[in-house]
Amino acid sequence: MAEQLSIEHICKSFSGLQALDDVTIKLHQGEILGLIGPNGSGKTTLINIISGLLAATSGKVKVGNVEITKLKAYEVATHRISRTFQTIRLFRNLTVMENAEVAAVGVGISRKNARQKAMTALSEMKLESYADLLAGTLPYGLERRLEIARALAMDPVFLLLDEPGAGLNEEECNDLLVVLDHIRKKYDLGILIVEHDMRLIMRLCDRLHVLQSGKTIGEGTPEEIQENPAVIDAYLGESGKEN
Amino acid sequence: MKKANLTHWFSSYSTIIILTVPMLIMAGLTDLFAGSLLIRIVTALFVSMVVVLGMQVFMGNSGILAWAHVGFMGIGAYISSICSMTPTTKEIAIPQIYPFLLNLHFSFIPSLLVGALVAVVIAAIISYPLMRLSDTTAAISSFALLIIINTVLIHWDKVTNGPRTLFGIEELTTVWTAVFSAILILIFAYLFKESSLGLKLRASRDDYHAAQAMGINITQVRYYSFVIGAGIASFGGGLFAHYITSFTPSAFYMAETFNILTMLVVGGTMGVSGAVIGTIVVTFAREGLRAVENFINLNHVLPFDVVGLTEVLLATALILILIFRPEGILGGREFRWMPKKSAKKKIEEPASVQVNE
Repeated sequence: MAEQLSIEHICKSFSGLQALDDVTIKLHQGEILGLIGPNGSGKTTLINIISGLLAATSGKVKVGNVEITKLKAYEVATHRISRTFQTIRLFRNLTVMENAEVAAVGVGISRKNARQKAMTALSEMKLESYADLLAGTLPYGLERRLEIARALAMDPVFLLLDEPGAGLNEEECNDLLVVLDHIRKKYDLGILIVEHDMRLIMRLCDRLHVLQSGKTIGEGTPEEIQENPAVIDAYLGESGKEN
Repeated sequence: MKKANLTHWFSSYSTIIILTVPMLIMAGLTDLFAGSLLIRIVTALFVSMVVVLGMQVFMGNSGILAWAHVGFMGIGAYISSICSMTPTTKEIAIPQIYPFLLNLHFSFIPSLLVGALVAVVIAAIISYPLMRLSDTTAAISSFALLIIINTVLIHWDKVTNGPRTLFGIEELTTVWTAVFSAILILIFAYLFKESSLGLKLRASRDDYHAAQAMGINITQVRYYSFVIGAGIASFGGGLFAHYITSFTPSAFYMAETFNILTMLVVGGTMGVSGAVIGTIVVTFAREGLRAVENFINLNHVLPFDVVGLTEVLLATALILILIFRPEGILGGREFRWMPKKSAKKKIEEPASVQVNE
């Protein structure tokens, strides 16, 4: 049965500063939803709240009918929600294989199956030949891929990607697009992606959600968003029209 | 496929063989050819190794500076001694001892195990809240724990004989008991590191937030490893007591903590191989320096007596290691037999532009 991740009326304030103001998003299994907006609009804050690293001031996060708002980060992970980080956060002294393996073990998969899951995830991201290297020795592009492989090894239903294309060159970005589309279909994932690269976002996403200063200023298909005057004004500007 | 698995398996466990065979040879040669002083040194080396490995289990895998483990070593030393001493000896050695402790009398190994068990229970009761802390706060709080344990050892006359020397313990730790204990603990520490629990703990060491997002309950995995490490340190304390045969609570305080920490840091905290190499290097460095110091003083090489040369040079060496090789001699790597095929593959991909956030 298809699951749904619901973010309902989420507000978050940091000592008076309103980082998120009444944000409501629904993410269905099998779709890719792009979360875009200018710097400081609250995109990463929202991902941190969903994954339990930050507590919301008010509002609810639900998987199906199960509320996960108050859960700790390690408990959220067991509800088959996995994520990557904008600033790469690999386990640098663990091997590439162990990075993926520990993610699977972390959500309660047995060691033997974890190894299998890890291997599959690494091969999805074309990392299997680096399995025995320490993660800290990987070049940047591979680090980005390992972030995603590690999240995949957790056998997620929902995958939250925080700027997976940051710092990648055009070719790497194209590869990323192909691989994300592929894993979404193969594993029937619901993917929430934060990204500034508009070419990537417009080609990849089924729907977009636009934030500005913590508020929703637009949602809809990429085509609708590109025509949305509020979004063009706040974020896309002239460059958005060109694309 | 089968063969590849077997090779992989052998490669993973080759560390244990590579480390233990030289240890056995060292113990054997010592037993056959060495004089009594060298036997004492090598025995002490293996006893220290047990405590260093206990510290590695927690500190190496969690990345949290562990001050308290030498305190647990002290608990093990006292409890195991009380268990192994005869009631008659105890009446003289600890005049105020509780009656129920007076009549306890076990043989050597059970005494060591009781000592370890008591430390495990104490650690299990007190350490959970400490495991929520990270970095500096964690280090300071475990330092406070060392002070508490030391204070209790000094003032609990009815168990420890207070600040006075506890004497009359039988010398039961031979070079062979020491080396076999060290090997046993080494195997355990290695398996622990490779276990699911060890893997989770190492992940939490490398990145706290990512580990949580991967479903790891960091407080819990730290807690288990702290308790296990305390048990091992305590077991080592029991071996120490039955090697040195008389001691005061000050034997399990700052100087010994520094000694054990130096061994672990010099070798490299993140690996079992580092713990082993660090113990060996520091033990022989210390004995070598001590010999030099004695030579200088006995032969009046200098117009004055040299005092504390060993300690100062060892501390200096530690500082230099921390500056130039902060991850220790081995840098967390394990000795491992590598089949040729899977030898390190070159990274073909050019490193693309680094983005600094």
